[in-house]
Amino acid sequence: MWLVTGIELRRRRPTVKGWIFYGLVLAVILGLGILVAVSSSDEKTSGPLEMVLVLVLGAGMLIAPSLAATSINGDSAEGVLAPLQMTRLTAGDLAIGKLLASWFIAFAVLVTTTPLLVYAFSRSGWHWDELAIVLGAILLVVLTSTAIGLAWSSLAARAVASVSLAHLTTGFLLLGTLLAFVFVQPLVSETVTDVNRYVDYGAMTPEQQRAYEDAQMTGDFSELDVASLPCMEYSSQYGVAHTDRIAWMILANPVVMIGEVSPIINAETYEKDGRAAPGVFAIMHATVSGWRMGPSEEDLAGRTYDECANLAAMAAGEEPPMMDEGDWEAEQEAMSVYAPAPWVGLGLQIALLLGSVWIVISRLRVPYKKLRQGTRVA
Amino acid sequence: MTVMSSAVSTAAVSASGVARAFGSVQAVTNATLEVQPGNVTALIGPNGCGKTTLMLMLAGLLRQDAGEIRVAGADPRHDSAAVRASIGWMPDQLGSWDNLTCLQTLTLMGRGYRISKDEARARGAALLETVHLGEFADRPARVLSRGQKQRLSLARALMNDPQVLLLDEPANGLDPRSRIELRTLVRDLAAQGRAVLVSSHVLAELDEMVDDAIFMSKGRTLGDEAAAHVADAKTRYRVATLDDSLLRAALADSRVPYDDEPTGIVIRVGSDQEAAQALAWLMSKGVPVHRFGPAGSALEQTYMAMEEERR
Repeated sequence: MWLVTGIELRRRRPTVKGWIFYGLVLAVILGLGILVAVSSSDEKTSGPLEMVLVLVLGAGMLIAPSLAATSINGDSAEGVLAPLQMTRLTAGDLAIGKLLASWFIAFAVLVTTTPLLVYAFSRSGWHWDELAIVLGAILLVVLTSTAIGLAWSSLAARAVASVSLAHLTTGFLLLGTLLAFVFVQPLVSETVTDVNRYVDYGAMTPEQQRAYEDAQMTGDFSELDVASLPCMEYSSQYGVAHTDRIAWMILANPVVMIGEVSPIINAETYEKDGRAAPGVFAIMHATVSGWRMGPSEEDLAGRTYDECANLAAMAAGEEPPMMDEGDWEAEQEAMSVYAPAPWVGLGLQIALLLGSVWIVISRLRVPYKKLRQGTRVA
Repeated sequence: MTVMSSAVSTAAVSASGVARAFGSVQAVTNATLEVQPGNVTALIGPNGCGKTTLMLMLAGLLRQDAGEIRVAGADPRHDSAAVRASIGWMPDQLGSWDNLTCLQTLTLMGRGYRISKDEARARGAALLETVHLGEFADRPARVLSRGQKQRLSLARALMNDPQVLLLDEPANGLDPRSRIELRTLVRDLAAQGRAVLVSSHVLAELDEMVDDAIFMSKGRTLGDEAAAHVADAKTRYRVATLDDSLLRAALADSRVPYDDEPTGIVIRVGSDQEAAQALAWLMSKGVPVHRFGPAGSALEQTYMAMEEERR
């Protein structure tokens, strides 16, 4: 297995041009890092760290599957796969070796960003173990994308097809889960009716209109004969989605999964906790948590606003009841500290990883029963 | 060797009634052959007759739909690892790791066969000398010409010291000198007791290299009929004279059968002794012979005859 990895890495050993390109990428990354360091204030911030992590994830998910997606059908077309299959190397050796070789290249991206990562981490308010967990999750996602690329490579005859299919699969996991989550919402929506009552200005007599306007101007409603004012009722209907029932769709998204394993940052007490303000991951976690909680009782009951009743209360010298907006801050805090749910995403990633590796191994096993359509053995 | 397989045959490679289809295309319909240890056997047939497919099945890379295959006593369907370990396979498709040097290529292949690194390296270096690529040991494979890649591929097939060699078009792209060297090398390998199955289109080349020939056409191996053809073709001697009528008369008088072909008169002689006697006899009859020798490659004649029947 390590032999195959060694062969693959040696074959891809960069040329001089490759090293120059790598140097340029490194320079851009370091430049970006310095720019961020100079431009940001002295406060704790998780922004740069999250940027680096997203960079590692994005680069890994682009590079590793592209390499893996050409490494079986490409080798076969070049005639270098069958000679290896003739040796004592097993299908498993070849599959895992090729998988790791492509994955290590994504790992190299991570190593490249280390200086920036260390700096960004020092300002992020994250703990070491939290960073390690998030990096682990990112590397798992990259490994799974690589395995998917490899699986397509073992299924499709042409390298072009397998590369596109690998990226489409990645794209589906990233965007498809979001779109599915959005488009399925109407199916789990409940119709909520808001009933509002207003004073019907148009139906008032001129005297009433004058008295009404005076009262609005002065704020003194005691002179107003509220009972005689014409009142009209508006009701509006809209759907409220039970996002709690379909939150698993969004939890299947690999980026959401990474957000779910990132540290919990309390939206209210972060300063006291020695944390930076909630960054992209924390906000993502809070948003997803909001969806997981689903609509509250009040959300489903609909909101009512009764101007006529309010006027009557004010005419009687009472304070009109406040619109019940709920405790926004408490809600934010509850969402930010809601228990994370990475298991759906992690489970999906591991299932895809194992499934892909199984496909690759069974497709590499010789003697072949079936060949990829339109290919020869070598 | 297991008791069972030795009961079946002493051949290093044997196949009987082997068939394989790709979708609706029947690549090999019915192939039967045997390759004995120490022998070089040629596999001859037109393009697309199923030679490569048959070789892939023998190599344990492709599963046959029907028929039995034994390589070094093992069945590739059940013990394909043992089959592959005993085989050196030189594919018809040239593939090499372009960024790796020739020696690295061989060393890594050797390690794929679970040979220790130092041993694989030493063996690789020796094989590069054998195929005359010693000077390219530390140069990347991408600088090799077609013929040189072909030789690297042969060296690669020998890395595991195989008992059975399957060479698919090994002479392709080789210059005349390399062809002669290949011939010598293949004979040497057979002399070491290895069984060699070689497919080629260069039939004249094979004539001097092989002990046995198997002809294939449309996915079938042509057995006895082709063998009889080859045996007959080997006895055919062409006689060129300054006056063919004298020769015809002499042969007719003595009731010697002959073929009157557009390219000349062909007689049959059983052995070198017979040939010498025949020539002396012709001279004694006063026939002005100016050329006397085998009527070209026996394999080529058989091949052409088989092609003729096909049409």
